[in-house]
Amino acid sequence: MPDATPAPSRTLLVTGASRGIGLETARRFLQNDPALTKVFTLARPSHDFDDAVAELRALARPGVEVVRYDVDLGDRAAVIDVVDRVAAEHGNVDLLVNNAGYTKPVPLQQVDFADFERTIAVNLYAPFTFVQELLRRGNRFELIVNIASTAGINGRSGWLTYSASKAAVINMSEVMRSELAIYGTRVACISPGRTATALRRVLAPDEDPATIMQPQDVAEVIEMLASPVGRFVDSANLVVRQ
Amino acid sequence: MYSLLLLNGGIGARVAAGRPKQLIKVRGLPILVYSLIAADAVAEIDQIVLNYPDGWRDAVEQVVADYAIRTPVTYVPAGDTRHDSVANMLSSATNDDVVIHESARPLVSAADFMTLLAAPGRNVSLMLEIPFTVAPVDPATRTVTGYLERSTLRNVQLPQKFAKADLEDAHRRAAADGLTFTEDATLVATSGHEVRFIDGSDRNIKVTTPTDVLLATFLLGGRPEEAWNA
Ligand SMILES: NC(=O)c1ccc[n+]([C@@H]2O[C@H](COP(=O)([O-])OP(=O)(O)OC[C@H]3O[C@@H](n4cnc5c(N)ncnc54)[C@H](OP(=O)(O)O)[C@@H]3O)[C@@H](O)[C@H]2O)c1
Repeated sequence: MPDATPAPSRTLLVTGASRGIGLETARRFLQNDPALTKVFTLARPSHDFDDAVAELRALARPGVEVVRYDVDLGDRAAVIDVVDRVAAEHGNVDLLVNNAGYTKPVPLQQVDFADFERTIAVNLYAPFTFVQELLRRGNRFELIVNIASTAGINGRSGWLTYSASKAAVINMSEVMRSELAIYGTRVACISPGRTATALRRVLAPDEDPATIMQPQDVAEVIEMLASPVGRFVDSANLVVRQ
Repeated sequence: MYSLLLLNGGIGARVAAGRPKQLIKVRGLPILVYSLIAADAVAEIDQIVLNYPDGWRDAVEQVVADYAIRTPVTYVPAGDTRHDSVANMLSSATNDDVVIHESARPLVSAADFMTLLAAPGRNVSLMLEIPFTVAPVDPATRTVTGYLERSTLRNVQLPQKFAKADLEDAHRRAAADGLTFTEDATLVATSGHEVRFIDGSDRNIKVTTPTDVLLATFLLGGRPEEAWNA
């Protein structure tokens, strides 16, 4: 199988870049990847997102563009619309980090089906749609990183919708990895354990964030996957946890 | 620049014998995809002439669309024989040089195409040494009729490249003489044009039987070179 040689210039698309692991990922690439020319940041409109984009733009070297797309990833038509705009306005996405994630953890009896559908839409269908729609526009990825979760490896009591969505992300990543090898595209899946972010506070409200893994740690692993040594990492699902 | 004549007319005919014809898949992808993606990455190939068996045009066009092949594709119906198919496709080629490949060889890589294009000479085929002994026989009487020196024989592989004028000339002569060839390196050579060869690889198998599908699946998947007994 061919390996796509890292482009002399490359672009990065990060979903869920308004905070947490996604924001940290955008930060690290802007600081450390000399080949980076554009970062596409996606989230729903919020003050967090305003602040994040302002900070990332301040961080960017001259000539490096931070592009913002306001989008609800639960809305498939809106996702396709963003893909259209990225492809038309900016060309190829070299690095794709499917990071955005959503959860409303409740026991089985309390699962609201519409919420289950939304969880699957944001966590599974959106990453799939980015990959499929970009491929259909002739995009050639160097690397795709899908963020799953250790909760997708083992089902967790009380987290049915989230666990199921992340299990699907792990499995989908394996298929992508195998099918996209024809392009020399590498596909990695990362399953973080508990990480001190807003999402973790939803899952474990009483935990002291200072005692667990930080979003920078996960972002550093993503950065490593995109670095020259990353091409030697050959695990279908990288578990990153404390 | 080159036009790739991608032979795809025999889709499924032999492998799927006894079953309804279908697009052969290797590792779940239509076999055609592998050659299309490899060729699409080669800048010197700016046209793909693709043939399709009767009734399969829509399915083949759909594959090209789904995989967002950037090189312009010209569609040509398959002929009655492989020989006829090449002749038909040749008339749709817009470049002075052509490459011939077949979708039944999914292990071809962009690098294989580039090596062929870089090889000296305009008429060049990939060929492979024959690692076993072959004998000339008379099948009717089931007798061995002599001896063949295998060091002067080669297994003809694809891809091949040709000057379009030489290939056209060879096909014209064959038509005039009522001859049909099973491949084009020998056709062009017997028409008096120089044809060279470069060494191919035994990985570049032609997938014709169900066992070949398994072998291609193995070679294309995972890391067969790391198998414990490799
Ligand atoms: N934190 C953990 O312990 C942990 C463990 C394992 C896996 N993960 C995974 O890591 C990834 C990142 O999460 P995080 O921990 O960094 O959480 P976070 O700080 O809450 O960030 C989640 C990000 O996803 C975005 N997002 C959520 N729903 C969205 C929607 N409908 N449309 C657009 N964007 C949306 C959020 O943006 P807006 O809400 O501003 O739109 C935000 O930028 C997720 O996939 C999560 O499942 C986290």
